[in-house]
Amino acid sequence: MAGGVDDDLWSAIGDPTRRRLLDLLLVDGGGTATSLSRQLPVTRQAVAKHLGVLDRVGLVRATPAGREKRYRVDDAQLARAVAQLASVGSAWDARLQRIRRIAEAIQRAQQD
Amino acid sequence: MEFGTLEREIYIEASPEIVFDVVSSPEHLKGWWPDDARYEPTPGSAGEIVFGDRDADGKVVPFTVVDVRPPRTFSFRWTHPGDQAAAEGNSLLVTFDLTPSGGGTLLRMTETGFREMGWEVAVLEEQYRDHVSGWDFYLPRIAPYVATLRVRP
Repeated sequence: MAGGVDDDLWSAIGDPTRRRLLDLLLVDGGGTATSLSRQLPVTRQAVAKHLGVLDRVGLVRATPAGREKRYRVDDAQLARAVAQLASVGSAWDARLQRIRRIAEAIQRAQQD
Repeated sequence: MEFGTLEREIYIEASPEIVFDVVSSPEHLKGWWPDDARYEPTPGSAGEIVFGDRDADGKVVPFTVVDVRPPRTFSFRWTHPGDQAAAEGNSLLVTFDLTPSGGGTLLRMTETGFREMGWEVAVLEEQYRDHVSGWDFYLPRIAPYVATLRVRP
């Protein structure tokens, strides 16, 4: 996509439950679908599904922990998501500045 | 807060009529964004914007006009697949709202759709194939960033 934004990464962190999961994983240093579902008003199955989405975009990494998987946040990929947010914002800042310059030049030309 | 919404406001010392023309006409669009723009500035018009050279390795991006109410509102969708009609879920919606203010114009831009795009897990999987990872950071920094994205007095 033009502008270099990964839509799936945006989508993964666009969901409030998944952001809450990331929060909990950061605070706790990691967790399983079972441990996370105890702290959220959603089922273990739903948590597992959300963790799957986060895993696919690389925001979390799983390691086997008994019969479950233990997840941790991937700091590097999280940084990437944050940087993309910032870059979309600055791209629009630059476009709006150009819009302003063009419009003001036309206004001045009409007044002369 | 809708995470997938980008909002910006800028004051421009020009009339809403001029600003409307600059944000909506294909000719002017080329002055501040793509290298080429082909669409009719009428609701529903489907066209495209081009980054780089169309005939070389430029990127052609679908662009569909949604709403045209001079000199107050202009909105469009972009980034939908070329063989699909633009709709919620397959594209980003950009809306320009213009308000007369002190002899000039307050231009407000919102871009939404990040959240809906690629929502289906199947799409996520497909898109994930070429992903590269790298970098270095923390979640607490997201909130400050989002604040700067959304609020610009």
